[in-house]
Amino acid sequence: MTKLVEKRTVDMEIIGDWVEPNTRVLDLGCGSGVLLDYLVQTKKVSAVGVDLELAKITACVRRGLAAYQGDMTDFMRAFPDKHFDRVICSRTVHELGDPTAVITEALRVGRTLTVGFVNHGFWKNRVDTLLRGRKLRNPVYTTEWFESRPANPVTIADFEHFCAAKNIHIARRAHLAGDWHSPCRALPNLFAGYALYDLAR
Amino acid sequence: MTDDIDTLPSAPGAETTPRHLAPGEVGLVAPRDFIYSHPFSFRSGQSISGFQLRYETYGTLNATRDNAVLICHALSGDHHCAGWHTPADKKPGWWNNLIGPGKAVDTRRFFVVCANVLGGCQGSTGPSSSNPETGRPYGILFPFVTIGDMVRAQKLLLDHLGVVELHGVIGGSMGGMLALRFATDYPRFTRRVLGMATTGRESAQAIAFNEVGRQAIMQDPAWNRGDYTKDAGPRVGLAIARMMAHITYVSDASMDRKFGRRKKNTANGDAYTFDVQFEVEGYLRHQGQSFINRFDANSYLYITRALDQFDLAHVDGTLEQAFAAVEAETLIVGFTSDWLFPPEQNRQLTLALLRAGKRASYAELSTDLGHDSFLLESEELYGLVRGWIERDQPYVFDYAI
Repeated sequence: MTKLVEKRTVDMEIIGDWVEPNTRVLDLGCGSGVLLDYLVQTKKVSAVGVDLELAKITACVRRGLAAYQGDMTDFMRAFPDKHFDRVICSRTVHELGDPTAVITEALRVGRTLTVGFVNHGFWKNRVDTLLRGRKLRNPVYTTEWFESRPANPVTIADFEHFCAAKNIHIARRAHLAGDWHSPCRALPNLFAGYALYDLAR
Repeated sequence: MTDDIDTLPSAPGAETTPRHLAPGEVGLVAPRDFIYSHPFSFRSGQSISGFQLRYETYGTLNATRDNAVLICHALSGDHHCAGWHTPADKKPGWWNNLIGPGKAVDTRRFFVVCANVLGGCQGSTGPSSSNPETGRPYGILFPFVTIGDMVRAQKLLLDHLGVVELHGVIGGSMGGMLALRFATDYPRFTRRVLGMATTGRESAQAIAFNEVGRQAIMQDPAWNRGDYTKDAGPRVGLAIARMMAHITYVSDASMDRKFGRRKKNTANGDAYTFDVQFEVEGYLRHQGQSFINRFDANSYLYITRALDQFDLAHVDGTLEQAFAAVEAETLIVGFTSDWLFPPEQNRQLTLALLRAGKRASYAELSTDLGHDSFLLESEELYGLVRGWIERDQPYVFDYAI
């Protein structure tokens, strides 16, 4: 039988480093469950994912992952405080209809919230927008605007401003350069292509 | 469950091969009887000296005796869930689209078992069975049956068949209740649970519909406090109960699509009579009539009572406590147009399992067929069932970034 091989991305690796073994993890917008599967295999976490699409839930079930089809805020409201050790919102935060409500709920049901997103403030994105005048396209934003859910062009500066305004403590951050691979060491809002945050109350 | 699940027309050129001989079908099957000849106590405290369960199996039990998949039927269903009894049968078993060689529940891999519930009337012991003490049918002297009693009787059957562990248990509607009860009552035995269009407890509305059905039966003078012979009994009451229940299994949209306001060709086209005028009326009357020829009115009372009494949370306090011992991996599937056991009740089951720290998933299919959607011929549904029952080999991660 052929083995199903999946590529581990750097943001997956970083999240994997941040996750404690044998903990309870919730992934908001889990998609086909690639990240959760990775965390189950490497950190033996007890995992559950939430997604809106039936096909994604089917993919998760096929992997043996617990997955829930439905609205993520409604889902979290069904759980007591700190039920999860970690809530993950990877490559999803830009699509949230009410980011404040989701992040607030996530910080209630989870001890830690991990957020990963594409930095729209990255200089190439700025130049690209200026020169091409078109919607950003990359491995996270794969579709044309007319095939996409509404998305917020979040930047690192915007996100940190949000955390400050909402009194959310940033426990850890990781900024990746434009290749989403090597670390970005200076002026992240300008030079980082991808950002990861660990948040707590 | 409705009686009119349309089977797909056979493919062109397939006329020469009867469907029961076609590849990918379980083919001709025969029911068998399991006789348990020890006293059996019901939850009510009442007991009987033994019982019979009629069942069917497809596929083969493996050497390790752990590839069994139990199918649990709904209120009016039975043990005949796949294949044909005779070549002349018009329709195969009620879940034939799901079960067979190469189908979602693959009988080449799994040993599939389906039994008529205790209290039923399709060959299993129930109120229409002969009471050994009187030599006459039990009638309402039959002990009150609970979903838990039905499950316990089926566990005895599985023990008899040599099943040491259930690979999975699948059920829709009431069948889902049995499946969940297997997980709570036999946690080590039950590895996987798949409940569709089900609930942990009926809503007031669902109980209300059952009560109207029971009243239709009990107010029929022929019911005679449950004392009637096989060919007599409350036929009018049972037919009305079925007509009304049938409406709750479908949806406004599906009835509208199927019948709309189309009228029957009446002899004189006279609108001013109470004869059947609309097609939907004729259809419901047909449903009622075909039901009384295959179902016992007292069984209908007992099983609907068991449905109403079922309350997973009530047994242990909360759903989470009820699920505390569960070891099964559970998949619950809700259907958007199900207004009898609506998606919300299916979601609550999954959420409670997750709060109890269990591995549970919830998926929802958009259909307009109502409660009976779980019988849908849908690749999406088959995909889910396959994912749950078979599971891919673990994905391997390429660590070279």
